[in-house]
Amino acid sequence: MNVNKNKTIIAALLSTSLLIPALSGCSSNSEKTNGGEKSPETSKKFKENDVKAISSSLKTSLNSFTKALNKEDNENIKKTAKNLNTEWLALENNIRESHPLLYTEIEKYLLPLYAGASQDNPDKATLKSLASSLDESLTKLSNAKEAEESNSATLNQAVEQYKKYVNEEASKLVISTQGFTDAVKAKDIQKAKALYAESRAHYERIEPIAESFGDLDPKIDAREGDVDPSEWGGFHRIEKALWNNESLGAMIPVADQLNKDVLSLQEKVKAVQLRPTEVVAGAMELINEAAVSKITGEEERYSRIDLMDLGANVEGSQEIYKNILPALNEKDKELAAKLDAKFKELTQTLNSHKKNGQYVLYTELTQEQIRELSQKLGVLSELMGQTAKILQ
Amino acid sequence: MSSEVKPNKVSRRNLLKASAIAGVGMAIGASGFGAVTAMSDVLGKPSNKDKSSKSTIPFYGEHQAGIATPQQGFAYIAAFNLLTDQKQEVIKLFKNWSSLGYALSIGQVNKETASNDFLPPTDTGESEDLSPSNITITFGLGSSFFLKDGRDRYGIASKKPKHLQDIPAMPRDALKDPFIGGDICIQVCADDQQIAFHGLRNLMKSANGIAEIKWIQSGFLSSPDGKTPRNLFGFKDGTANAQPRDESAMNRIVWAGADEPDWMTGGSYMAVRKIQMMLESWDRSSLKSQEDTFGRNKKTGAAYGKAKEHDSVDLNQLPRDSHTRAAKETGQELFRRAYSYTEGMEPTTGNINAGLMFISYQKDPDTQFLPMLKKLSQMDRLNEYTKHIGSAMFAIPGGIRKGEYLAQNLLEG
Repeated sequence: MNVNKNKTIIAALLSTSLLIPALSGCSSNSEKTNGGEKSPETSKKFKENDVKAISSSLKTSLNSFTKALNKEDNENIKKTAKNLNTEWLALENNIRESHPLLYTEIEKYLLPLYAGASQDNPDKATLKSLASSLDESLTKLSNAKEAEESNSATLNQAVEQYKKYVNEEASKLVISTQGFTDAVKAKDIQKAKALYAESRAHYERIEPIAESFGDLDPKIDAREGDVDPSEWGGFHRIEKALWNNESLGAMIPVADQLNKDVLSLQEKVKAVQLRPTEVVAGAMELINEAAVSKITGEEERYSRIDLMDLGANVEGSQEIYKNILPALNEKDKELAAKLDAKFKELTQTLNSHKKNGQYVLYTELTQEQIRELSQKLGVLSELMGQTAKILQ
Repeated sequence: MSSEVKPNKVSRRNLLKASAIAGVGMAIGASGFGAVTAMSDVLGKPSNKDKSSKSTIPFYGEHQAGIATPQQGFAYIAAFNLLTDQKQEVIKLFKNWSSLGYALSIGQVNKETASNDFLPPTDTGESEDLSPSNITITFGLGSSFFLKDGRDRYGIASKKPKHLQDIPAMPRDALKDPFIGGDICIQVCADDQQIAFHGLRNLMKSANGIAEIKWIQSGFLSSPDGKTPRNLFGFKDGTANAQPRDESAMNRIVWAGADEPDWMTGGSYMAVRKIQMMLESWDRSSLKSQEDTFGRNKKTGAAYGKAKEHDSVDLNQLPRDSHTRAAKETGQELFRRAYSYTEGMEPTTGNINAGLMFISYQKDPDTQFLPMLKKLSQMDRLNEYTKHIGSAMFAIPGGIRKGEYLAQNLLEG
């Protein structure tokens, strides 16, 4: 599809969906097509049909992009991605208000797609996978109902409280990482090892939030093999050097970069707009993170402090559980009680793997102990999945 | 792919089915398309059965389904351990399983729908658009259900059925954890592997926190209509089985006796042995040696000295240590419902990891099964090519009636 036709569709959409309500709201500036100034009343008038039209128009643009991608036409890849992004910028605010979860989902794929396509030699496999995920999200948008989630007072309060926690952890992460990297630069191995564990805990407690900033998580938390070796930095790069007795001199630039990245993470965390759906999903993600990549001992492959990461994931999830408890009690008291009991059980089991207040190394666990933790995480995860009841 | 269809062309569906069988992956690599075609011919055409929308087996009845049911093509058998000490939790689980079992039997998915899209779907979804494929779900209880490490967790030890015990150690046993026993067993069979898997998966999911999985075994079998299926050694397996429709035979061999607790009325005992089969050494032994091992003709299935598969066996004509003679000499009957299995390869030897998931149902395992197992463990020539690596016995409660749940008389009586 050519650019002009694309523009026509956007214009048509804007005139039918946005401008009419905007005009009725006494806005006379018909040239201003950015939806950012719309009032909440306007967005309520934003009907399912309009969402369908937006979805379909975005899909058409995405289709042009995919075609260019298949032809490996770099020039057109850039151009069509830009069109797609421009179109999205004009429409995104409506979706953000009416369908916050899908908004986040679309952004999650579209932003890296646009960034990736703008490069001179774009990574086509990644772009293809992003395009396909984006297409799925747009299909969901096309089928979405008008009111996606409730915003009851208890829920908003839960989000506010949780935001406070996330900010606290982010700031502790910054402080402990500063100490950690100072020790690395001073080549104080013992101190560095001790502070490594502490910094990791703060990161793991808020991992889903950190992960939502696509570019930062790989910089801070990539494991060996997750990224190109020439780009590999962050915690685990230094972990390898520390536990493999590599020279720490080479780690100085890595340490400096890590400091910058956690600072930038803290800034983003401060600014982030959290929604109840994201918070509830985050509790689940944390447990799944523990159940999938921590319990297998693949996260901390040199320091072997995997149990500490796992414990931090569980603590982060439990924090969300505590914050949504009032809302959960309104919907399903039995579920709240079960979750409470299962968190206690898991915490007890985790505590039984501590010596002098520290978790034992992953390598000291028996197969049976790992299996027991895995089974308990599974039970918790299944129950946690049900907490989305509070969103109706 | 071209639109020209060759007559012996393998459909994707049959190919998928065939790839459930060991070695097909290698066969494709080694000899190309023809090998797969040949394999699909061996498999017969069970896929036509499950196209019918009427392919359902009643879940409710005097006996649990999946015993006197014509054997379906695929099975998943799993053992669970209970995580709770509370009888009420077990009752809740059995109620859930009973209603889910019924729903699965008629091709319905879990009926509770999630109240909003942020919740995980209640059903896992892979049975959507498929027919019930004659799915059956059979529940059994192990001796540890009644008494675990000397503890009577649910106050039911006094109602343990007469013949339920862990299978005693046998000569040559090479049992491997976790494939030994279990508090509960579920056998899910269907003519479609995906349907069978979907059944077990959703039953497992609904047991979350109350029962945890101990082991899972999948199996397959292909029996041309009315004919005895063959095992992976290429011999007919189960020639001596009674016809499931023969009620008097089933009463004599399978269904529990009147001296059992009332919840066992219409029930049975299930014996399970996971038997690894050394396919490579078998395949390298001579036809004569193979036939001597079974005491039967490989092609026809007829016992030595006879012309047809079902001719009566004259034990004196069979080698003393042949499988058929050793088994027949016990003078006992079992009702067999075995499945073959393949599990990739043994990394240390490069041999195929495959065998037989032996399952038999019987009225009295003390008389029918254990003496036979003991004798075969001691003298069966087949032991040169096999290894028993898993073992379990379960009491099968009587059938579930509409409005009731599994083992209700045991848990409430």
